[in-house]
Amino acid sequence: MSLKNVNLTEVVKRQYFFKLKANIDAMSSLVFLQLLAMLFSMGGSNSFHSSYDQVALEVSYFSGDVIIGFTMIWAFVTAITITTRQYRNHDFSFVTNRLSSSLSNILFLLTASIIGGITAILARNLLLVFKYIFSEEQIYGIPLTFQDLLLGVSATIIYLFAVSAIGYLIGALVQISKAFVVLIPVLFIGMLFIDGVMNRDPFIAYVFEFYVMESSFGLFFVKMVSTAALFFIASISILNRLEVRR
Amino acid sequence: MKVIECTDLAKSYFGKKVLNNLSFSIEENKITGLIGRNGVGKTTLLKIIAGFIKETSGEIKVFSERPFNSLNVSANSIFVDDQMSFPPALQLYELLEAASSFYPNWDMELAKRLFDYFSFDPKGYHNRLSKGKTSTFNAIVGLASHSPITIFDEPTTGMDASVRKDFYRALLKDYIAHPRTIIISSHHVDEIENLLEDVLLLKDGRNHLHLPMEELKAWAIGLKGPTEKIQEWVNDKEIVYENKIGTNTSYVVVRNDFADSALQSARLAGLEITAVSPSDLCVYITNQTKGGIDDVFKER
Repeated sequence: MSLKNVNLTEVVKRQYFFKLKANIDAMSSLVFLQLLAMLFSMGGSNSFHSSYDQVALEVSYFSGDVIIGFTMIWAFVTAITITTRQYRNHDFSFVTNRLSSSLSNILFLLTASIIGGITAILARNLLLVFKYIFSEEQIYGIPLTFQDLLLGVSATIIYLFAVSAIGYLIGALVQISKAFVVLIPVLFIGMLFIDGVMNRDPFIAYVFEFYVMESSFGLFFVKMVSTAALFFIASISILNRLEVRR
Repeated sequence: MKVIECTDLAKSYFGKKVLNNLSFSIEENKITGLIGRNGVGKTTLLKIIAGFIKETSGEIKVFSERPFNSLNVSANSIFVDDQMSFPPALQLYELLEAASSFYPNWDMELAKRLFDYFSFDPKGYHNRLSKGKTSTFNAIVGLASHSPITIFDEPTTGMDASVRKDFYRALLKDYIAHPRTIIISSHHVDEIENLLEDVLLLKDGRNHLHLPMEELKAWAIGLKGPTEKIQEWVNDKEIVYENKIGTNTSYVVVRNDFADSALQSARLAGLEITAVSPSDLCVYITNQTKGGIDDVFKER
């Protein structure tokens, strides 16, 4: 048999298409989660009630926040799942090295984020349509322009991609040592406690401010994507040393 | 050409040495049998060759490259055992198609023919197969990949006798049509002794013997006769195995470095001289303890 040389791009491309098929279960769980989130959102996320003489006023707000939140959890869990031993072993039944495996995983997570982002925003609109058809109350909405829709979708995609980068890094850390399963939550919650005891603003608030409160979309994009890239590079260098099927 | 070269290879898990100063090389297009007792490091060695795990020290070269993280080694080799895992979402037929997109030398016609012969359901799922069927499917993937290095780590686990025979026959036929380097590790030496060209025998994590099958067949002889006479004949020889039959008869396996004339006179002296089958010989050589299982139950 003659030796065949392969290049990285070609292998990553094949693995990517393979993973789209192999990880189809992730997509069905996305549909299920978004339906569930829609159900939760039906009651309105926030409401107030006031009455004066003969007049009673009840206002409920509806938003897609819960749907986006659920989709973020989904992206996080999906990213962790594909770092597990079982999923890495799947790659090693075929042609792979650790770098190509991670690169195709990242491409898969990007695709998942795009699908998740688009469906999350669409699900929000579907929720409003449902409300409009089935509820007897008056519905008021801020008119949504196409530009707004596009902005909403892109921002959601970027959020999801960043969340999956965090998930992927945590997954990679857990693959080195199971101690991180305990360590990461302890560190996270412990930090909140210490900040509370020291009577200062929690560290997480600054992080939130830095990333989420950014009003310029360009800057937001740069901040989020470069942070995600850093997380992925860290994960790749961790996973690059891991043995499989031992 | 040497496709696998390994010098002073060592591997330890949690401080315990599994492979120890292992050195050998494997020539291109040969079928090599990797023989050794349980836990001697056969699977570890094969996984290092496939690039799954890292060597602790020493050097391993596959196609003159270090296999760990090498894309070329991965594309040109396949590691088949009963633990091969495939995504549960894909049907068996889709798995074959996925394999064909990955392996550059993949032979889809062979895969389909074997798939039909062993009556697999194209719409079945890998994780629902029985133990023997799983091994059979993995073996099909291994054969059809036509990888320049094909590694079978105990490929026949769970297969019934007839499937095992079919598999070895398929392996031989496909090898003759498409010669490539094949390494098989197995405990059933008697089943594969006609298949193998070379034998690599591991003992204590080391290369104990590495020689062509033909030489292994003639490597030792068995002598049977009255104990006293046997002692006389073998006292300066390398004894591989010794067994007392009854009170006064012994059976001894020794390195076959007798001259023809010496064998002739041994025969005249009333000793029975027999050939030792490779499978028995492998058991004798790799025995870690003196005596046998009977000693465990003695004088309880």
